[in-house]
Formats: sequence, C-alpha cells, structure tokens
Amino acid sequence: MSVYRSPGFDFSNSTRNNFLLNKGVPLPKATSTGTTIVGCVFKDGIVLGADTRATEGPIVADKNCEKIHFITEGIRCCGAGTAADTEFTTALISSNMELHALQSGRKPRVVTAMTMLKQTLFRYQGHIGAALVLGGVDPTGPQLFTIHPHGSTDKLPYVTMGSGSLAAMAVFESKWSANMERQEALDLVILAISAGIFNDLGSGSNVDACIITADGTEMLRNVDMPNQRVQKERDYKFRRGTTAWTKEDVRKFVVEETVTSTDEMDTS
Amino acid sequence: MNSFVDQFSTHSPTAQLKRAQKLIAAEEDDYSDAAWGSQAGFGGMIKGIPAFKVPAVADPTAFLRLHTDDHADPNCRIKIQHGTTTLAFRFKGGVIVAVDSRATAGSYVASGTVKKVIEINPYLLGTMAGGAADCQFWETYLGMHCRLHELRNRERISVSAASKYLSNLVYSYKGMGLSMGTMICGWDKTGPAVFYVDSDGTRLKGDLFSVGSGSTFAYGVLDQGYRWDLTDEEAQELGRRSIFAAGHRDAMSGNTCNLYHVKEEGWDFIGNYDISKMYYEGPGDVPGAPGGGYGYAIRTEGRSAANPPPS
Amino acid sequence: MSIMEYNGGSVIAMAGKDCVAIASDLRLGNQMLSISSNFQRVFPVTDRIYIGLPGLATDVTTLRERFRLRVNMYTIKEEREIEPEAFTHLVSSTLYEHRFGPYFISPVVAGISKTPTGGIKPFIAATDLIGCINFAKDFVVSGTASSKLFGVAEGLWEPDLGPEDLFETISQTLLNAVDRDAFSGWGAVVHVITKDQVITRKLKARMD
Repeated sequence: MSVYRSPGFDFSNSTRNNFLLNKGVPLPKATSTGTTIVGCVFKDGIVLGADTRATEGPIVADKNCEKIHFITEGIRCCGAGTAADTEFTTALISSNMELHALQSGRKPRVVTAMTMLKQTLFRYQGHIGAALVLGGVDPTGPQLFTIHPHGSTDKLPYVTMGSGSLAAMAVFESKWSANMERQEALDLVILAISAGIFNDLGSGSNVDACIITADGTEMLRNVDMPNQRVQKERDYKFRRGTTAWTKEDVRKFVVEETVTSTDEMDTS
Repeated sequence: MNSFVDQFSTHSPTAQLKRAQKLIAAEEDDYSDAAWGSQAGFGGMIKGIPAFKVPAVADPTAFLRLHTDDHADPNCRIKIQHGTTTLAFRFKGGVIVAVDSRATAGSYVASGTVKKVIEINPYLLGTMAGGAADCQFWETYLGMHCRLHELRNRERISVSAASKYLSNLVYSYKGMGLSMGTMICGWDKTGPAVFYVDSDGTRLKGDLFSVGSGSTFAYGVLDQGYRWDLTDEEAQELGRRSIFAAGHRDAMSGNTCNLYHVKEEGWDFIGNYDISKMYYEGPGDVPGAPGGGYGYAIRTEGRSAANPPPS
Repeated sequence: MSIMEYNGGSVIAMAGKDCVAIASDLRLGNQMLSISSNFQRVFPVTDRIYIGLPGLATDVTTLRERFRLRVNMYTIKEEREIEPEAFTHLVSSTLYEHRFGPYFISPVVAGISKTPTGGIKPFIAATDLIGCINFAKDFVVSGTASSKLFGVAEGLWEPDLGPEDLFETISQTLLNAVDRDAFSGWGAVVHVITKDQVITRKLKARMD
C-alpha cells in the first residue's frame, strides 16, 4: 500500500456501516448549521451575512463558528447545511479557483466558482448537504448566487438560505431597494440575520458580515453581538485538593539544553 | 327465596337495582367520595379492584406500547425504568432483601436515591423492578388488602396469600402494559418466605431470587455464597456483596445498596451503603464485612499486570 | 441503540492560562455491560498535543494508528514537529475522506501551540464524526456524556485558570457529568499540558 493516498472519498467503511444500517442501527448525526445566511447587492458591490450557531440535534455545538468561507479575494461563500460539507466543498473550490486563476492569468469570476460548485454538488446528487450563498465582485461586476444541495442555482439581487431564510427574507422583502449605499446595505443584512437569530431556533449568537466591492473585501467578523453573556457575579473555583486522585505521573520536557563540547572526541 | 339464584339473575328486582346503581356510579364518573377519604386514593375499591380509564382507540394495548416502549418509539413520553438489581433470599435466620438505588431513562441516570424496597407492612416487603409506578401503586394497594385480611380474619396474611393476591391482580391486567418484576418477602406461620411475582402473571415460591438487568451479576455472587445455615451477619454481607457486584458491572444499576432483613418479629432496615465507597473502602464497620474494599483493583493493588507494584 | 453509545465513553478538553487540560473516563462497555475500567482513549500525539477519541472502540484503535502514521509522515516530510492547528486539520481531513462511510469517532484535540513571536498559546478543538472542526476558546466536549458535560462545563469553566486550578475544574466537570451518564465512568484520567511538563493523574472516580 502506498502511503500517498489517491484523492476523493474513501468508501472502505461502507460495507461495515451498511451492515449496521441494515441491522437497524441509525447513522449518528453530524454537526449541521441550522443557520441563517443572506446576501444582497448594493450600489458598488455585495454584502454577505451569516449567524454563528452550529448545532448537533438540539445541542448548540459551537456558539461562534464562521460560516462565511473564503473562495478568492473578491469572492466569498456562506454555507448552510451539513457543516463539514460546506467547509470542505468551499475549500476545494477555493483551491481550484486559485489554480484556475494561475492557469488563465485572469481575475477569477464568480460564475466560475458557481459552476464548479453546482457541478460538484450535482455529481453527488444531494448527498453532499451544502446549501450556499455565493457572492463577489469580478470584472463583470457584482454577482450574487444561491446554490442548492442538488446543484440548482439562482441569480437574484437579494437572497437568503438556511432554516432562518424565511425570517431573513421577510426583512429583505419589506426593506430592500435597488442601489443602496454601503452602510445601508450592511445595516439591512445585519437586520436580516438578526431576524433569523431571534426568530429561528436553529440560528443564534452573533452576526458575521462581509462587504465585497471592486476596491476590496472587508470581512466583518462578529459585526453585531446581541447575545453576549453577562459577566458572572461569582465563580465556582474549587479549592486545591478537591479532586481525589490515585496516581500521578509528571513528564518534564527538556526546555533548554546546554551543549558542552569536549576537546577529546573519540573519532577512531 | 333462593338468594343464590337471585344473585345471578338478570331480571330480578335486585339485579335491576344493581344495574341502576351501576349506571349512577358510571355517571358520577372519575372519583367517588371515598377517593378523597381514608382510602388514600384507592377510591375505586368501592367497586372492587380499581379500574383504569383506557384510551379510546381501537387497540389500547398497541397504543400504550407505542407511547411507553423504547423499542416502539425511542422518544416515548413515559420512560419506564428498565435497569435495576434486586435480590432476596431465604435462610435460617429469615429473609435478606437487598436492592440498588439507580433509576435510568435511556442512558441518563435519572436518580441515584430510589427506594426500591416497598414496605408493605411491618412483616412484608416487596421489591421494585420494571415500572416504578406500577410496583409502587400495586404493592401499596396490596398492603391495604393485607390489612383488610387481618381485620376480617384476626390473623396476619401469609406471604403465599399476599403474593397470590398480587399475582391474580396483575394477571387481570395481562397484556395491557403493566411492567413489574417483584419479590414478596416476609415471615409467616410457615417461617421465612420469598415469592417471585411478575406482570406476566408468573408466581414462584423459592429460596433465592434476583430480578433486573443486573440480576445475572448478583446471582453470580449469590449462588457462590449461599447456604441455608448462613449466620445473620454472613447473610447480610452476601446480600450487600451481590448488589455491589451488580452495581459495579451493570451500567444501569448502582449508586447505593439498601439492605433489609426480615426476621420473625418483622423486618429490619439494616442500612444504606454507597457502592463506590464499597469499591474503595468496603461497607464500613459492619458485622460480617471482611474489611477493605471489594474492588478488583483494590484487592489486587500492586499485584496485577494493569496495576503493577511501584518500581 | 446508537452505534456511538455501543462502547460508551466521553472526553472533555479545557483551555487555561498558558495550559490546557484533556480528560476522559476509562470505561469500555458492551452496551449495558461494563467490560474494562482501564480503556485508554486519550493518546499523546507529540509532547505538547493530546488527542481524545470517544466513540466506537474498534475505530479508536484504527484511527489512533492512522493518525500515528500520518503524523510520522508529516514529521519526516516537514522535518519538524506538527503544530496543534495542523494536526487538527489532519484529523479533520482524515475523517472527511470517509464522508460516506465514516469512522464512529468524534475526536477532541488539546495542545500548546507556538505563536510566530515565540510565545505559546493554549489550543483546543473538537470535530464531529465527519471532520467538521469546532475551534473553541473555552472548552470542547464529546462522547456519550457530551450533553451533560456541556451543562456542567458551561457553569464551571472560567478564563485564565492556572494548571492546578484547571485540573480541579476539569476533573469536577468530568466526574459530575459522568455520574449522570450510564455509559461513561468507571475511572477517569486527566492530562494537564503546560509549556514544560505534562501532569497525568488517575482520578478516584465512582465505580458503578
């Protein structure tokens, strides 16, 4: 067996896992991002937004995760659905976009990323559970797309996705207008994500936003934090020696070493 | 008049009166006045055994199972307590009853301080395995009937009769979702007695029983140490040690052990022992205990491959 | 029955001031039957990185060896020790490779990483069974008692605990959470990693 692994998925556990599945043992749940993600076009570019909650069933697994993924400098992608899938699919396309840019010697375009993503997702027939909002500014201007897990795409001036999409869309439908200013658009996106955070149980915590214009990209991590926990009034620090233990092993590292040279080195 | 025929007649005046009474009782519905009185919630007794309301669906049993059984519905609303270890055995000096105290709902340890021995009266003990509510309700109810028996017959009910009363009672509900595996223990004219009764209707007389998910572990210790002529101290220690073994190995049993000893003059509560404490230090200063922890790692300290001597 | 609960077991990691701690129980079960009270599921990766592998026991063994191979290959190729961040991504991609036939393990990584300025930074992370990384600043949990661990840790953890205080906090969190879980317990082990030593202690835990 070569230590170099071929690219792509490894199905070597499938026989075992299908056997278990047939015996009635269900597959465990993976982390999913209940999620509210949005994107909207404004006068000079695109604003993307996302909440920061990741869930495992009813448990909040991560209170401050990042859902706006890097594709290229001028293209970003928000992910909803199976968290690992959005993470790895966007990373793969980001990688291929860089290679494509190097190959062609041109600035990468949003449609290119969109096509790569939809073709990847279509190939896996929905088994890769990634629902994406792709946005960016390229030589053809601001572009905004949504990509569904089965590979279908939309091109719209304002979009929402994830379990909080209805709450967010309600905000866009009532407040969006064409040719908004930068700050106006950002405020609208924050408002839309907040609607998801407060009205959808699958979304929560903070607001991330990303403003992309022809001049550059501004990633606004935790631009709004409406759910900060208050400082605890007192603490639960335990007195040393509270925990009884039976055995101790201390392994000390060599932090510094002094090398002393000896004159008489036996080289015979 | 032939009162016997009258009793079973369907059109005699007495029968008609009875029917009318029944109708009135049915209209009164839920609770009779007695429910709030001295009968402590067992109000249905006025009509004989308590009757439960059955869900108005085609197949009440299937309906109940769907909502109470983990296998039919993992998110069942009523989580029935499944894991338990209980044991009881008969010997020269009486009956030893020992139980653990853990209640689990799925993998969640819902409580570590459950009383699984039901004190029916000063001479009778019942144990709890299966549905906690079923055991508690019916064994308390059994206690009432034992008292009525005493009042009617001017003598204490035999363990045999009491257990048969319970077994007949649960048999009348067979297939309707009752879940209990219990041991009725006591001392009567015949001496110490232990009866196993479960919700299937099984009733067994025997010297030694263990019931619950940890019963196999308890039997292992129990069988190995059991003799008829055990001293009181030895017998108590055997009960404790058996529950320890089950509490240690079985994930659904544990926390503490409750130990009872039924003697001629009635039962005695011997004590409550923490199973983890028994692992490390033993049950403490009690007669019959060997001294030192029961735990394997403690007994082999410094001598096993997993726990080698300090080098 | 869930396959993740077949063997039982839980792991937690917490960050402190210039130190991290990782702790796990020692139970290996066969559903309700406890088999071993000395089952190791936390392994050293380098001097300063530990990984906890709660989940199906057969995959604990397989993945442990898989990670050992990959870390060795990395060390040989790069001619340096792997950093916790890089190792977490290695874990993540190994798991995602098996996206459609996963290992039933959700790992926890704890380590001390070096900053470009020569300082040190505590690092903890967890992934789900297909490799979605959760970088946390406070604590990460995994295993059959994870929901209970979340609750206790949320209450007990506080920032900037020193190695000895962190030991008490993580130990009490694990012990109390595990006592409410039927599939975890039967002994516990804690590793506290600082810049110049690792303290490993076996706890006196409930044995039922």
